Amino acid sequence: MKGVAEQPEATLQEAEVRTGAPVSVRRPSTWAHYRALVKKDLLHEMHTRDMLTSMGLYALLVLVVYGAALAQAGTSLDIQQMAGGLLWAVVLFTSLLGLNRSFSHETADGCLDGLMLVPMDRSVLFLSKATANLVFLLIVEVIVVPLFFFFFLGTVGAAPSWPLLLAVLAVGTVGIAGVGTLLSTITVNTRGRDVMLAVLFIPLSFPLLWSCVSAATAVLIGAEGFMDTFTMSMALAGGYDVVMILVSWVLYDFVVSA
Amino acid sequence: MDAIVAKRISKTFGRRKALDRVSFSLPEGAFLSIFGPNGAGKSTLLRVLSTLARPTEGSVKVAGIDAKEHPDQVRERIGLISHQSMLYGDLTAYENLMFVARMYGIQDAEARVRTLLKAVELDHRRYDLVRTFSRGMTQRLSIARAFLHDPSVVFLDEPYAGLDPHAVEIFDDLIGRMREGRTFVMVSHDLQKGFDAASHVLVLAKGRTVLFEARENVDFEEFSRLYHDTVGMGVA
Repeated sequence: MKGVAEQPEATLQEAEVRTGAPVSVRRPSTWAHYRALVKKDLLHEMHTRDMLTSMGLYALLVLVVYGAALAQAGTSLDIQQMAGGLLWAVVLFTSLLGLNRSFSHETADGCLDGLMLVPMDRSVLFLSKATANLVFLLIVEVIVVPLFFFFFLGTVGAAPSWPLLLAVLAVGTVGIAGVGTLLSTITVNTRGRDVMLAVLFIPLSFPLLWSCVSAATAVLIGAEGFMDTFTMSMALAGGYDVVMILVSWVLYDFVVSA
Repeated sequence: MDAIVAKRISKTFGRRKALDRVSFSLPEGAFLSIFGPNGAGKSTLLRVLSTLARPTEGSVKVAGIDAKEHPDQVRERIGLISHQSMLYGDLTAYENLMFVARMYGIQDAEARVRTLLKAVELDHRRYDLVRTFSRGMTQRLSIARAFLHDPSVVFLDEPYAGLDPHAVEIFDDLIGRMREGRTFVMVSHDLQKGFDAASHVLVLAKGRTVLFEARENVDFEEFSRLYHDTVGMGVA
């Protein structure tokens, strides 16, 4: 191997690379890894708008289908009674679409191997991916929920307690992003992963969905004693989030390594 | 000190044995070329050596560090260049390298990234998305990615796959410039190219070692004949 001095035409940069000039490396904290991973996912979405576009369009289409279906029922339906369930159906199916795509760019071109080669706590991958998914889901909800109110509750209105729905959406979306991230990692390399994610996700998230629908319906109707229903459902949903996110955190190293 | 010591590595997938008691040791600064037919276990061996897979039995030491006991310490010292780029197509070259630099905790990351982008002659395309790059350019960027944290051991997994002859020349030149002070392990299907680059050769077949030898002790004609007689005829 020729040395630097024997190749005067070599650039400084080439020389640095060739001779392996000292590179100062200090193992980053878990927080630094988390920030770098979230930033990477947000940058990726900014360039592609892949998840936001597909989830947003899908949610709007579901609202159109709801509109067509409910228009046939005329005034015989009490839309307030159904609004909580309808809203969570939109959120759930939209989330499934996004979660299916959230891990696909990691498996393309061996990027996941690249991440596995980095000396780090692999559970931070879960937290960062779940955070990015949460951000994308919340952005879509910011667009879809007002439209849902406008189209379906515009005439009948909602109870004065409706702002509590924001808390329900926040707690429910955290759970969906957490469990969904774990399951999308498990299913990303399976055949028919779209169906597989739904098959695993809906039964596993059923307690969360039931609680969120119950809490959302209670705050939209605002009937007597709604606060009790709301509090109990939110406690259940919150407990589900804590348990499932902890389980996902613990299992993630095994899942992503497999 | 040996850069890599592999002791009786076995790896099984279900009932299939992908690696069967493979052992060798490689001195620092050596270049090991691994040969073998499809399914011989070459890529599995590379994945085990680079901590991407755990051996079912046996042990691996890289730079004297046990890969099973301290995988993160091994990961700090290794780089991998594969036929897969490990780059995000929808991020720019600069964003890709800055991401990797942050993940490895490289101080003065920006300067290091610019140095490597210039070294692989892609500085003028640093703000372009990687998916707009040719295969050769992507491979050059993946070299920059692998060398960002200045690894002492570099694994090359069929790095020539899909490269045109000109891109192969550029790739060889880049790797040549980065060889000093580093140990390389390359999986290749190209007997001549792999043999020429190597200081040591390892031939695998059906997960077993057919030959491990310093290149100076092996004549290429003899090596080529042995390879075809054993591996080619499925003897091993």
